[in-house]
Amino acid sequence: MAHSDDCQYNYACAECDLLIDMPAHIPHRTALVCPRCNHTLAVGHRNPKHHVVAVSITAIIVMVIALSFSFISFSANGQQRDINLFQASSELFAQGYYFVALLVLSFIIILPILYLLCLSLIIVNTQYKLHFISTHLLGRIASSILPWAMTEVFLISVLVALIKIVSMADVTLEISFWAYVIFATLFTYVASIVDSHRLWQWIAQGDKW
Amino acid sequence: MVSPTPIDSSKENTTDKYAQGSAAEAGLTNCRLCHHLTDSREQHCQYCNAQISPRVQRSVQITLSLLITSFLLYIPANIYPIMTTEVLGDRSPSTIIGGVVLFLSHGSYFIAAVIFIASIIVPLAKMFALAWLCYAATCRQNIDKYELTRLYRITEFIGKWSMVDVYVVAILVALIQLTGLMSIQVGIAASAFAGVVLLTMLSALMFDTRILWDKAIKK
Ligand SMILES: [Zn+2]
Ligand SMILES: [Zn+2]
Repeated sequence: MAHSDDCQYNYACAECDLLIDMPAHIPHRTALVCPRCNHTLAVGHRNPKHHVVAVSITAIIVMVIALSFSFISFSANGQQRDINLFQASSELFAQGYYFVALLVLSFIIILPILYLLCLSLIIVNTQYKLHFISTHLLGRIASSILPWAMTEVFLISVLVALIKIVSMADVTLEISFWAYVIFATLFTYVASIVDSHRLWQWIAQGDKW
Repeated sequence: MVSPTPIDSSKENTTDKYAQGSAAEAGLTNCRLCHHLTDSREQHCQYCNAQISPRVQRSVQITLSLLITSFLLYIPANIYPIMTTEVLGDRSPSTIIGGVVLFLSHGSYFIAAVIFIASIIVPLAKMFALAWLCYAATCRQNIDKYELTRLYRITEFIGKWSMVDVYVVAILVALIQLTGLMSIQVGIAASAFAGVVLLTMLSALMFDTRILWDKAIKK
């Protein structure tokens, strides 16, 4: 790693600032915790790069499917209505609630996709020694947007909404909903593998070439 | 007071300011984004170029001001209707608490409990937790750093779950638009509530837990 050489420690805990000598290798699926505050610093994985890039690209494709078909359909008194995923935001926009519409669109669609895209680009960039975009910038974007990706929260919200209306109409979950379930699962999986220590280690590896 | 001759002028007086064994004590700044250790005299991370300082500057003040704003927004979020249901021209606005009461009156205690916890207990608990953290970091002497850090982690984790309410409204509004029969309109409380979630999340992100660990050494 490109850390300062004059210091025997190469890492500091993000939550308590304790200097830590980070081991070069962390065993598979083992969490490394801060000895002082118990903050999880990094989690070991056998083959993270291939895993992350494969899962991220699959998740992006699944998201394209989730955006192309109808999400939920609803029928009552002979009338039927299908909505797609975008309409969760666009209907708010149409009613003049631009701020809420923007937040919903960002948190459930744009930021999760952007995060996965950044990760894939970083890995491809460092693996194949390409330099078409700054990996440092991508790393900063990925690290900043992770707290704002809310795929799993949205999924639970859909279920709560269904519980609220299931007694007054026929509600069917369509293809897009199931695609979004898969997307949220894959996203959560990727986010659990890529801790920020590993992410910046990849970026630093890319610098060496 | 006699202090040893400082080898490096920038490292003067840092020993009693920062926790023992911390990067800041050693004259290094840990970048919050990329975790690279940069000399504390630098203003920008030498690795990712983000702006850095040994501790988030005015962390408690910023956290508190965002917190107070979110608390003020929480009032209209509860007073005004979050959505209005229109059935055959008959409009009935419903507030967040109104939704809970409605489910209680229908006997659906479980759903009522879920909504009550997600939209009332969680946001309030989050605000009190952050306020307590700010208070402990500045005014209290003997603090349990480990417990407070854990409190912070819980606060950070549950932060985004308060968005449930806003998403539920977004889905219902999109779905229930049957012309002439039944439709749902968003209410002003949805904006206020989204603002509350946004501000409390920002407020938690701005709180620097490292200041809790710095406190212990001041005896
Ligand atoms: Zn720590
Ligand atoms: Zn940095």
